[in-house]
Amino acid sequence: MSHRVIVLTILAAFVATISAVGPAGVGAQNAWPTADAFAAADKDAANWILPARNYGGNRYLAGGSITAGNVGTLKKAWTVKVDARGPLEVAPIVWNGTMYVTSSHNDVYALDAKTGTVKWHFPYKPHVIAFSANRGVALGDGKVYEATLDGHLIALDATTGKPAWNVVAAHDVSNTFFTMQPVPYKNMLLLGASNGDWGGIGYLSAYDAATGKRLWDWNAVPGPGEPGHETWSGDSWKRGGGAIWSGLAIDPATSTIYVDLGNPQPDFLGTIRKGANLYTNSMVALDVSGAKPKIKWYHQFIPHDTHDWDPAMPPVLFTGTVKGASRNLVAAGDKGGNFWVLDAGTGAQVYRVAVSTQKGQNTQPNRKGDIACPNTNGGVEFNGGSYMPETNAFYVPSVDQCGIWKSQGTATYVSGQFYLGGAFPALYGPSTGYMSAIDIGTGKFLWRKHLAFPQIGGALSMSTGVVFTGGVNGDFTAYDAKSGSVLWHYPTKMTIQAPAGSYVVGGKQYVVIAAGPAGVNFADPRLNQGAPTLEGKYSHPTSAMITAFTLP
Amino acid sequence: MHTIALSLAAVVVLGGAVPARSAPDDHAGAIAALADMRAAVAEIVRIEDGYAVGHAAYLRAAHRAMNALVGRRDDGYAASFGDPGDGVGTLGHLDRMLDQTGSSLWTPAVQGAKANVLAAAANLESALGQKEMEEYQADLTRALASLALVAGRSSEGGVLGGLTGALANTSLGVPAGSSVVSGCGSPKSAPAYGVVAGRLAYVALPRSTAAAGIPAGLGVSRVELLGDTVVLYAPMARAASAQCSSKGSRLQRTRAVVTSAASAPYTAAQAHAGMAVYRRTCLQCHGADLQGTAGPGVAGTEFLVNAQRNKWTLQDLRTTVFDNMPFSNPGSLTPKQYADVTAFLLAANCYPAGSKPFPQTASPALAKVKLGPVPGAKPANPKLGTCAVK
Repeated sequence: MSHRVIVLTILAAFVATISAVGPAGVGAQNAWPTADAFAAADKDAANWILPARNYGGNRYLAGGSITAGNVGTLKKAWTVKVDARGPLEVAPIVWNGTMYVTSSHNDVYALDAKTGTVKWHFPYKPHVIAFSANRGVALGDGKVYEATLDGHLIALDATTGKPAWNVVAAHDVSNTFFTMQPVPYKNMLLLGASNGDWGGIGYLSAYDAATGKRLWDWNAVPGPGEPGHETWSGDSWKRGGGAIWSGLAIDPATSTIYVDLGNPQPDFLGTIRKGANLYTNSMVALDVSGAKPKIKWYHQFIPHDTHDWDPAMPPVLFTGTVKGASRNLVAAGDKGGNFWVLDAGTGAQVYRVAVSTQKGQNTQPNRKGDIACPNTNGGVEFNGGSYMPETNAFYVPSVDQCGIWKSQGTATYVSGQFYLGGAFPALYGPSTGYMSAIDIGTGKFLWRKHLAFPQIGGALSMSTGVVFTGGVNGDFTAYDAKSGSVLWHYPTKMTIQAPAGSYVVGGKQYVVIAAGPAGVNFADPRLNQGAPTLEGKYSHPTSAMITAFTLP
Repeated sequence: MHTIALSLAAVVVLGGAVPARSAPDDHAGAIAALADMRAAVAEIVRIEDGYAVGHAAYLRAAHRAMNALVGRRDDGYAASFGDPGDGVGTLGHLDRMLDQTGSSLWTPAVQGAKANVLAAAANLESALGQKEMEEYQADLTRALASLALVAGRSSEGGVLGGLTGALANTSLGVPAGSSVVSGCGSPKSAPAYGVVAGRLAYVALPRSTAAAGIPAGLGVSRVELLGDTVVLYAPMARAASAQCSSKGSRLQRTRAVVTSAASAPYTAAQAHAGMAVYRRTCLQCHGADLQGTAGPGVAGTEFLVNAQRNKWTLQDLRTTVFDNMPFSNPGSLTPKQYADVTAFLLAANCYPAGSKPFPQTASPALAKVKLGPVPGAKPANPKLGTCAVK
């Protein structure tokens, strides 16, 4: 189980840098990470080989030379421009001194992790159905894998960037695309379909990593005869939603996948889909030990959602101390402004903490327009948060906005178009954000910062007492994990919508962040006008950059 | 009344076991829909033919027929009476066939069949409320008349052909996994289904196996022996082969496109005004060249080909622009600004300007205009396929 991995990592924290597989320690016989290496990704300080660092999905680093004491001296090491036709949401993958990143339109870059020099560049020109976004590649046996905006799953030679294979992975390319970073697990690539809000049904698929052949699909909406099907009126299930946008957490010890399913459709018109609408807005624990996934448990956060308040944050598995007792937990966060802690074994709720302003949670949008909070793309967003054992605290950024929501009388499915039954809301009132530290012992805030801009960069915590995150105004900030005081910041002057990563090359620890254009995600008018940052003005950027930092 | 019922039973499907498969295919769906309908008809015939005594037996028959027609997921399903069908119901099968993004040549026939199933279900519903035997019988007769149209006949296409016509004359007659060849010219292999533009021309069977039976759902107008191959021509084979001549197909293509291009209403003045709206409100996500940055592309070859593939109409474009845009603040422009920016998009997509403005309010006529590449267009940017707006 990943919580055991975490516990082991704490014990091994002192030797982390020694046990780390640095470039010098990697021989030709072990050129690429093995299944064991993925399962022990936590212990490898040199590399970052899974989307959220480890199978638990916890962006937490044990050890490292960057500490609360010296982070104030962190300096830019290098920066490199990438394709800027949309926001950067990539979690960089680092292996053996090479960093792999993607642009919003699915270009893939291999960079020298020490200098930022481009080793190879794979350009791609997908047909964009909805909006452009990509969260990065998966690393495998000599290959990197990318899932694209036009529904393809592509394997590239990791050394040369040449395509190895390319399959159409989406069942319906008129409404289904991929934003998620594929997750390597055993001989498989796990990938969820992004088709919510465009009239599809979400599904999680496993593909053979060697060939791209589909091994199984698990549908997010139960069909006729399956338990949960009765939570949909009439035929509404057929376009019911439940897309999978971001990440997964996996417990290899019990072969369990934790996955969050997106909102029901049509998003804003609940009357034509009466019922709880399972498994939308739910976390589902899937047993994948057999040929096909089986549901262990599910926990629906917001039944019959009418505000697109889906659990955007990828699940995080961790062992925390609750009221003095050690427990295996899984965390979630939704766009409705809730942060959730569940029992990882049963799905039972341990805590719900409101991390954004909430209003109108039980109302439905109407024809005239109704104010409810958070706004769409409010609450906890797709990069989520991070748990630090040293403080027993969970660090989670959030967006604080309200919106005016309108529904329509009907919803008609048109292939390749929105299937909303209304319109995405318009921003109402101020647009701000929070960085919160939640004490897992009590479910109360350890500290909380109200910030001038939405916070969606995710959190990277380090046992050395530092938490990194980024705001949409481009400020990349290091907080003191115990007090919340700002220890360091750097104005990228672009929008940060990506999570930070860490790696070691040439004996030095680096922190890396992607920043780029604002894109369609954030209805903050200041982003079009040149917003103030901690140092000077946000530059309304037309460029996209990957920037790495290190100690002098 | 008995005659109708008997002829229905005779029309439906000759043998043909449906192989088990995980995903239901359309051919199997049509066969199963007919089987459920036949089960419903049998219930009605049985109660009409027999000498049942008491209200309960009549109610039971109507409920069972209803169950076979609507399937267990419908509100009208009453499980306690039993189901002579497969549980999915004719309606369930037809819904499954219709619930897909594309449409086929057989879609109108299936839509018509669905409407007739709903009509028959309404008759049965009415019969269930009747207290007089005569009224009850009249309702059942009406139900049977509707069901006769669900089955249809093999000599007709479209709604009148019903499911039988669609199975006999379109690609719906091809079972999953069968070998499909071009239906133009004589068959070169067997077994094979000859199909032209969605129309079934013939089924070719090896002589040795042809004796074993005619495939399910097939209607045959003519049989030909070509060496060792038996060719069974579909009832409307002639309509299929007419598609083979290049003249015919080109004519059809041209006609479809001219309709779409000629009837997109907007004026040059609107497009000019819309350009400023686009720059201010849309450019950030859709790009200066309209090819999309954070959002999708909105003009040029890729956009128009995709629009055509998804069967977008001018009404769909209007809905997206007027109701859903700009993404972060939908509904924030005035009706004039929305009409202007839509005109700008039409102009950038090389639709010719005219004297009729793009309407500021909803207009049903827009749903009749299909979007797609404009014939004879001379894009200012041939690579992207976009036209300059002045």
